Amino acid sequence: MRVQLFATCLVDTMFPETGEAVMRLLRHFGVEVGYPAGQTCCGKPADSGGYSGESRKAAEHFISVFEKTDGPIVIPSGSCASMVKNHYPELFNHDPVMRQKAEVIASRTYELTQFLVHVLKAHEAGFSGSGKITYHASCQLTRELGVREEPLMLLRSLRGAEFVPLAHADRCCGFGGIFMAKLPELSMALADEKVDTILSSGADTVTGCDHGCLTNIADAIKRRGAAVRVKHIAAVLAEGLK
Amino acid sequence: MSTSTSGIPFRENTVPALRDKILRAAMSNATETFAVKRTDAMAGLPVEEWREQASALRMHVLDNLSDYVDRFAENAARAGANVHRAKDSEAAREIVASVLKDHRIGRVVKSKSMVSEEIHLNGHLEKEGITVVETDLGEYIIQIAGEGPSHIIVPAIHKDRRQVGKLFAEKLGCDYSDDPAVLTKVAQKVLRREFLSAKAGISGANFAVADSGSIVLFTNEGNGRMCTTLPPLHIAVLSIEKIIPSLADLPKFIRLLPRSATGQMITSYLSVITGSRKPGESTGAQEMHIVLLDNGRSELVRGEYREMFKCVRCGACLNACPVYRMVGGHAYGSTYPGPMGIVLTALLEGMERAGSLLDATTLCGACGDVCPVKVPLPKLLRKLRESRVEQGLTPKLEQSAMAGFGKIVKSPMLFHLGQMAGHLFWPIATKLGHSAGLGRMPRPVAKTFRERVS
Amino acid sequence: MTREEMIALFMENAGKVAAEPIRVRDYDEFGKVLNEALAETDSVFCPGLTEKENAVHIPPEKRTKEYVSASACIEEASAAIAETGSLVFSSEKGKPVQAGLLPGHHLAIVSSENIYETLDDYFSAIGSSPPTNITLETGPSRTADIELTLTIGVHGPGRLTVIVF
Repeated sequence: MRVQLFATCLVDTMFPETGEAVMRLLRHFGVEVGYPAGQTCCGKPADSGGYSGESRKAAEHFISVFEKTDGPIVIPSGSCASMVKNHYPELFNHDPVMRQKAEVIASRTYELTQFLVHVLKAHEAGFSGSGKITYHASCQLTRELGVREEPLMLLRSLRGAEFVPLAHADRCCGFGGIFMAKLPELSMALADEKVDTILSSGADTVTGCDHGCLTNIADAIKRRGAAVRVKHIAAVLAEGLK
Repeated sequence: MSTSTSGIPFRENTVPALRDKILRAAMSNATETFAVKRTDAMAGLPVEEWREQASALRMHVLDNLSDYVDRFAENAARAGANVHRAKDSEAAREIVASVLKDHRIGRVVKSKSMVSEEIHLNGHLEKEGITVVETDLGEYIIQIAGEGPSHIIVPAIHKDRRQVGKLFAEKLGCDYSDDPAVLTKVAQKVLRREFLSAKAGISGANFAVADSGSIVLFTNEGNGRMCTTLPPLHIAVLSIEKIIPSLADLPKFIRLLPRSATGQMITSYLSVITGSRKPGESTGAQEMHIVLLDNGRSELVRGEYREMFKCVRCGACLNACPVYRMVGGHAYGSTYPGPMGIVLTALLEGMERAGSLLDATTLCGACGDVCPVKVPLPKLLRKLRESRVEQGLTPKLEQSAMAGFGKIVKSPMLFHLGQMAGHLFWPIATKLGHSAGLGRMPRPVAKTFRERVS
Repeated sequence: MTREEMIALFMENAGKVAAEPIRVRDYDEFGKVLNEALAETDSVFCPGLTEKENAVHIPPEKRTKEYVSASACIEEASAAIAETGSLVFSSEKGKPVQAGLLPGHHLAIVSSENIYETLDDYFSAIGSSPPTNITLETGPSRTADIELTLTIGVHGPGRLTVIVF
């Protein structure tokens, strides 16, 4: 099987090790991973700010890059995957040709844990892990994509690691993309509240499916001076491959 | 980030709110309690089906609003009410004031009405020499404190018991107590005298029933009943989108509204008031006036934001909202706070005033999940943000940044140049843009993922 | 649903909202229950508009015509709703609905044949020319406006007793 990876701009620019972890994970199951050249950003930052002209440009570019390929498109981010699956078609309501293309792209797209669980059955693979892990459930991942169980199934399957639940796991962490820049005091207060629940859980690692959220949470953990690791779920799972 | 000078200074409002420990504790307690009660109240029930039915019925009314308003007005008049149509807030205030002045009434008891806040009724009546006595406990507390409501269901929830105790001791001259039961008794004694001597009562309405011309009030304390059945004159103020077709439609909303608002199966009292007292009856105002407020609604229900007017004012979206939980209602600087407040304020008062409120959301989607009538709040918020951009009301720096984004996103080469520049100039960029959150993001790497796999 | 099942459902739901539901099956039991309930009360108002209201025995020194100052009001509800445990009071036939609002203790008599199973059953039966006031009463009056701490008994009665007859 061959899949196409959309790394996301955050992974490409700031967290390349997550991209590497995703590739190792997929290859572990014998999946060939294509990385279409020319990919940039899914357009979510512009879209959530209300700049539909700019987000449409991003969507057009994404579609032009990926329509030259085939097979599933795997994205290690709930917000990017939801942007492609749920919002791309809407962006082209006035353009039937592009809308059709967007729908095809959307139907090929999986958020990473969706692909790992439903296609690769990775939760049955017996990965190993360590320590006490808790999980932050990102907003678009849960409410727009409906991905709630898949990350939990993967984390609970880790042998040697203890999964501890996070109180109010699906409460917004305060990232909100442009929100973090426009209302930083609120963003930090929400992240602080998230750190409170993380510390109460007793976990030594907090994970999630979105680097935007994890960045905001990591900043709050640093400000708190807490000794909790923040890792993307791809990295947590890939650790068990060593 | 700058905002228009006539605009609500939302960010500025949040800063002291976030530092206010009492407020933070009060809002955490309130929103979490309500959210749990709501979830418990909905457990095991066919809520999705109910939401769908309620939503469809509300849309049907909105799609035929003008006819329903006419039908309601006709039937209310048939039952003996004087029906007034008010184009805007000013007209509505004037109608209420002139009815009271015609009867030479200088003091009136009032049960809670959010629409009366929207039209700034109390201030106007006070200017006309008419004393308004708020009788809902929460409204009574904030009236004494000289504040506006911070939540549409529990107006004084931003205060803790000690603050209320101090307020009562200072302003009412009673002994200090921080026991809610004792404080409630204090208010009850004062207000009982008011109810029994009142010559007029003002109320809102949760719903208006077109076929019978009735108004419906959901209450718990009994003050709503006192205001609407004891004085000889009753004035009800409501906005036109509150109409439902017939009494047979009411159960749908009885099942959803109290559960969504407070987690109750039903409120202690539900009053269906139809016109004025009829021959042979011993209950009902002798004279009843109904003020139907438009304030832009008949136009707005034809537009792309019309689904907002399905809202039944339950407050569930406030209780679910992370931003509202952090800062409470006053930070929104508007009659209506929280997610529904952002949309309504933008629609009713315009983007110049409400634009900054559109920042007050992370678009997390929690509000849309809990709305009993399926108002698509996240979708409406996103649409309003688009509209704000189209009207050129976002900060210039942001507009330039987005224009730049639009250029580089289509060009892998420019995108990579941007990444390199980000890596090189990060130390400077974070100093300049620290307040824009850049300092909280990690530095762009020297070797991007793309470079590593190529 | 059978009549007995409806009565049981009504009493269960009335109990959930602290409406002190009691079942009586004849006028003897009715009299006993009332004597007990009114023993502590010093002034009682009763409209005397229905057969059951007229069967309520109140010692003359306790009976008052002024519901404004009475400490208890005992009256028959026009209907009840099992789904929610609610009583219905309507202004038809000269009933003063506010009489049950002002005293601290409200005692409501419900004839079992006037119990509707659901809200829909009740509201579909009203028609489009209702009396001036229909009030559903479900439990005593309450507020949670201060810190969401529940206080029972605000402006309306703090105590509601329901007698299903």
